[in-house]
Amino acid sequence: MVSIDVIESSPSRLRVRLGGVDRAYANAIRRIAISEVPTMAIDDVVILENSSVMFDELVSHRLGLIPLKTDLDRYNLPEDCDCKNALGCPKCRVLLVLDAEATDRILTVSSGDLISEDPESKPVSDIIPIVKLAPGQKIKLEAYARLGKGSEHAKWQPTSVSTLIETAKPDEFELCIESVGSLSAPEIFARAIQRIQQSLTEIAAQIKA
Amino acid sequence: MLLLSLCSGGGLVKMQRAQTQTQYDAWPVLQDILTREGVARQHLNSYNEFIQRGLQSIIDEIGSIDIETVGTPYKVKFSKVKLKLPRVVEIDGSVSNILPLEARLRNLTYASPIFVDMTVEEDGIVRESQEQHIGDLPVMVKSDRCMLATMNPQQLVEVGEDPKDPGGYFIINGSERVIVGLEDLSPNKILVDYEKVGGVTNYKAKVYSSIVGYRAKLDITLKQDESIVVKLPSSPVDLPLVVVLRALGLETDKEIAQAVSLRPEIQDKLEVSFEKASEAKTTKDALMYIGNRVAHGMLDEFRLRRAESVLDWGLLPHLGKTKDDRYDKAIFLGEAVNKLIELRLGQIESDDKDHYGNKVIKFAGQMIADLFRTAFRNLARDMKYQLERTGQRRGLNVVGAAIRPGIITDKLNNAIATGNWGRGKVGVTQLLDRTNYLSTLSHLRRIQSPLSRSQPNFEARDLHATHFGRICPSETPEGSNCGLVKNLALSALISVSVPSAQVVAKLYDLGVKPFKEADERMKLDGCRVFVEGRFVGFVKDGDALARSFRKLRREGQIHPHAGVAFFDSPFEGGTKRVYIATNSGRVLRPLIICDSGRPTLAPDIIKRVEAGQLNWRDLVQMGVIELIDANEEENSLIAIDFKHLNEKNTHLEMYPSAILGIAASIIPYPEHNQSPRNTYESAMAKQSLGFPTPTYPFSTYVREHLLVYPQPPMVKTRSTSLLSLDERPTGQNAVVAVLSFEGYNIEDAIIFNKSAIDRGLARSIFYRLYEAEAKQYLGGMKDTFEVPRPEANIRGYRGEKYYRLIESDGVVMHEAQVGGGDVIIGRTSPPRFMEEYKEFEVKGPYRRDTSVGVRASENGVVDAVFLTENDEGGKMYKVRVRDMRVPEIGDKFASRHGQKGVIGLVVNQEDMPYTEDGIVPDVIINPHAFPSRMTAGQFLESLAGKVSAIRGKPVDGTAFTGEGSESLEQSLKEAGYSPTGREVMYDGRTGRKFAADIYIGVVFYQKLHHMVADKIHARARGQVQMLTKQPTEGRARGGGLRFGEMERDCLIAYGASMVLKDRLLDEADKTEVHVCEKCGLIAYYDAKQRKYVCRVDGDNARISTIVIAYAFKLLLQEMMSLNIAPRLTVKDKV
Repeated sequence: MVSIDVIESSPSRLRVRLGGVDRAYANAIRRIAISEVPTMAIDDVVILENSSVMFDELVSHRLGLIPLKTDLDRYNLPEDCDCKNALGCPKCRVLLVLDAEATDRILTVSSGDLISEDPESKPVSDIIPIVKLAPGQKIKLEAYARLGKGSEHAKWQPTSVSTLIETAKPDEFELCIESVGSLSAPEIFARAIQRIQQSLTEIAAQIKA
Repeated sequence: MLLLSLCSGGGLVKMQRAQTQTQYDAWPVLQDILTREGVARQHLNSYNEFIQRGLQSIIDEIGSIDIETVGTPYKVKFSKVKLKLPRVVEIDGSVSNILPLEARLRNLTYASPIFVDMTVEEDGIVRESQEQHIGDLPVMVKSDRCMLATMNPQQLVEVGEDPKDPGGYFIINGSERVIVGLEDLSPNKILVDYEKVGGVTNYKAKVYSSIVGYRAKLDITLKQDESIVVKLPSSPVDLPLVVVLRALGLETDKEIAQAVSLRPEIQDKLEVSFEKASEAKTTKDALMYIGNRVAHGMLDEFRLRRAESVLDWGLLPHLGKTKDDRYDKAIFLGEAVNKLIELRLGQIESDDKDHYGNKVIKFAGQMIADLFRTAFRNLARDMKYQLERTGQRRGLNVVGAAIRPGIITDKLNNAIATGNWGRGKVGVTQLLDRTNYLSTLSHLRRIQSPLSRSQPNFEARDLHATHFGRICPSETPEGSNCGLVKNLALSALISVSVPSAQVVAKLYDLGVKPFKEADERMKLDGCRVFVEGRFVGFVKDGDALARSFRKLRREGQIHPHAGVAFFDSPFEGGTKRVYIATNSGRVLRPLIICDSGRPTLAPDIIKRVEAGQLNWRDLVQMGVIELIDANEEENSLIAIDFKHLNEKNTHLEMYPSAILGIAASIIPYPEHNQSPRNTYESAMAKQSLGFPTPTYPFSTYVREHLLVYPQPPMVKTRSTSLLSLDERPTGQNAVVAVLSFEGYNIEDAIIFNKSAIDRGLARSIFYRLYEAEAKQYLGGMKDTFEVPRPEANIRGYRGEKYYRLIESDGVVMHEAQVGGGDVIIGRTSPPRFMEEYKEFEVKGPYRRDTSVGVRASENGVVDAVFLTENDEGGKMYKVRVRDMRVPEIGDKFASRHGQKGVIGLVVNQEDMPYTEDGIVPDVIINPHAFPSRMTAGQFLESLAGKVSAIRGKPVDGTAFTGEGSESLEQSLKEAGYSPTGREVMYDGRTGRKFAADIYIGVVFYQKLHHMVADKIHARARGQVQMLTKQPTEGRARGGGLRFGEMERDCLIAYGASMVLKDRLLDEADKTEVHVCEKCGLIAYYDAKQRKYVCRVDGDNARISTIVIAYAFKLLLQEMMSLNIAPRLTVKDKV
């Protein structure tokens, strides 16, 4: 019989004991938690001004890696969105702006300086450093975040840890998921299972057809 | 392959950790030496010595020039030389002082004008005196003449310099050049040796007598027939010894014999030499004898003069160049012969050429002195010529006009810019290696041997015992330069020259008797004393003299760089000698002085050094440490560490890992590696990408790499912080698991985690600089920066789309995305030859397109555009294009243990193996990398890296003294890990546990600058060479991939003749040629007459067209040019 025992559950960490499941199925949950559960991350950056020592590609790369709080019910993956617009629509993208200037002393621009148009989709932490500005340097940009999957780029991975380990009993595994903060660990788990079910249903339908 | 033999890991482990780790640790002293002096001290000292003394002495050597005019002759005297601040003279004549940054940016030469006080003297009466500019001397960055030398770090930042830049190089036309240290035999030293040539043994004594910028080699040979001959550079023939001595003023046989030795067995050996010189009985005769040979068939008076000049200038010039010095030369020659005969009699051993005591290293100062001497002589000669031509007019104005500063400026600039030192010496200078900070430092401590790399020279390549603490045992290239190119050890210091006059005075106080004053007894068995190649006299007890000399030096009465060595022969009867060395270029190393089994450098003194209350120079003054050269080291007994110190020891080693050089000192746990691995890593560390300079926002190097997220290694060595490699790192710490992965890491490939790459692991930026200047041509024509317009009749117009990125000023915009072929600097130039268009062109003058485009195989973003003006007044653009390099399959990486490999596969994180804690490795390497290479150091580093991650601070992995495995294992145990470094891991694809535990830890990885993006290449169709019509070669020219002999053999063996023809003919240089069947020579098609023509058979010709390789057609024509008629016999295909 399939059984699930929750050993530990918090928004950042979930540990469950899975009994009576196939190893392949259990591992699929682990893998999908890493690569197929969508999260929000900055993907397109329009640099209006950048006089820092860090050049545009690098700033963009760093912005992308900042985990953003994600509400999967409010946003669509761009490929599934019905706006069919290359620029996206409010249902599939979020605009964040950054405008910082160092005047008299060195300024560390951090994730907290990003202003999001959607207060719910903001960086999970305000103290992630983006770039240091020397007096006189300025950075001004528009960043567009969208949903994406870990299989495309690691910035869309919702997990920091995702392990499946064996226990003393056969056919029993311990799954541990730690979140980077964009989604809660239990939600990642739930979404991962949903995702598997969806795939399986699709396959089943195709086999029938 | 030649490999430097090395103190193997095993042997060195013995001088190991446990005890050196105990209380006694003199590292702070060594640290003080290197931070205070900097790694380029040897270059700076050498150069400073040249500008302070060498420059003046070369000018004084010429002193004055006599102008012999028809009327009253006069003299131009040179006196005081002055070097002003580095400057640039603009095209309009304005002068401004410059800093290195400006020189680099504007392609200028960082040089100072040399001024010499010149006086016009007529009949001994001074007419006029004024300082005159004689040329420009390139200034070494951070030398005494450099503006940066006195700046503090903050000021350096303000003038756009890296405060950590070591200096020690020159800037010529904007590029940084290093004069690499050159190993040379010690000057003014009598070296005896024997050589066996076909059963005949010749005994030889050699002296390289040197003065500033000049050296003369003296060769004395004791031949098989026991005769002794002297070879001088200015004499075409060997001269008999006795003749030379007699010419030097020793008239009688007795005087001559006594100059050599008073010992009868040695005097006996001179018999044959005396016989050979029977025709020269007096000094006059001897001089004539020499004159007859060096100036054969000239006037008596002239022969005499030549003979005297041969003796004064060509023989031992270090002892002086006047008549008064001849006696000293005779005595010196006598001693050389004495040493030679002692060798012949087996009373002493031959000198070892590879002993570091017999070598000096020449740096920039000495090298430039060589050049400057010839350049200044040329200038003086040119002045004399010009002034004698102008005749009667005189005075300083005329003298000023006769100086052509270009003679000196151009000679120096050219030599440093090309490394061409004249007399076949090439490669003296090199472009400073700025791959990363470490490679720059290592480059500045490199030493070259002048020995040929094509000859084996086995002994010269071997590691010598005297290299210990002076030359790095690991850092040397592989292959032809192995052991010839060396690197200074961390503890090595290069001596500066010490004025020898006061040293000699001290010696006479200590009881040394000059040659003339010494009594017979002393001459017979006294100890001979030499100072800097000068035979200064005799002393009764040489050993005691050496000891009292050392005492004086430790008391600070003698310069610490003066070295003293007492030589006792191991055989019966050998003369004892004391050598005192005061010359520059000897390799010294600091040692702790010991007194009855205790180091005088007490732990509390070390603490005060650490606290900054004392510096190492104070310690030298206090007499607790001293600098020892390789000869003096032969008189010492040095304890390897505190624990092995006993009563007999005179010294104690400073710090064991300081025997390594810059590159080898960053290897953690090198004593656990097989020795060649450390050599490999020493070479690879210089290719790793990192953070070469914080000036990268405005640096103008042609190629530059920057690692995006450089990290200091978690397993450090003491030298990583000492060399500032924590602030200028060369790699990143990666979590490394050792296991096989589907075969994608066999043959040293490595597996990368895709997510790690996404997060920025090993990301780097590549900068390339494109440069264009607007030249001005004779006749007032100029290059212009503009967008070339097709309607303006421009030759070589590339097509509109290539110019789309440039704006009206002719240059691309900042941050523009550029690709292969795109023009980034638009420029047009006037026609090459003015007459060119007149005859053929109807349209009139045209301009040529000389725009600069992005390299065909590269792309990127325009990072910076610099606009400036060079000293010829031409406008100059420098455009820097950057390209971000994300690691991909085929990029090369290496750990710090000579373990290199390329990426074989990039794996998604979910497919990667993971530990129970959820750690996913960044890198997976293959276990087969270890058994044969035995780089146990990497295992230790991995273990230490893990411990470092647990503790949250770096672990010390310094050679011989690093934290040992016991303590690392203990730490792992305490943190709940297995002390073996292995962990349970799961396969990410299946979720299955691996049957074996996997070795996983943190290892510092370096990204090497061999990247696929720079090498990837393929071609379908493309350019062909003009001469042969075959495809071009090389990626830069879009070349083909060679279908070589071996490939050809394969197809022949296989019988694939169609493929063979396709590769070698159809797709290579297929041509149709018309051949006359009658004569078999090549015919041609005349388009006007519309017929085939054979120049031999005319109308009778029968011409057929054949298909051959163009290279074959060329061969036929080349043979024709040699008057050979290659005839082709053509037949119909059946």
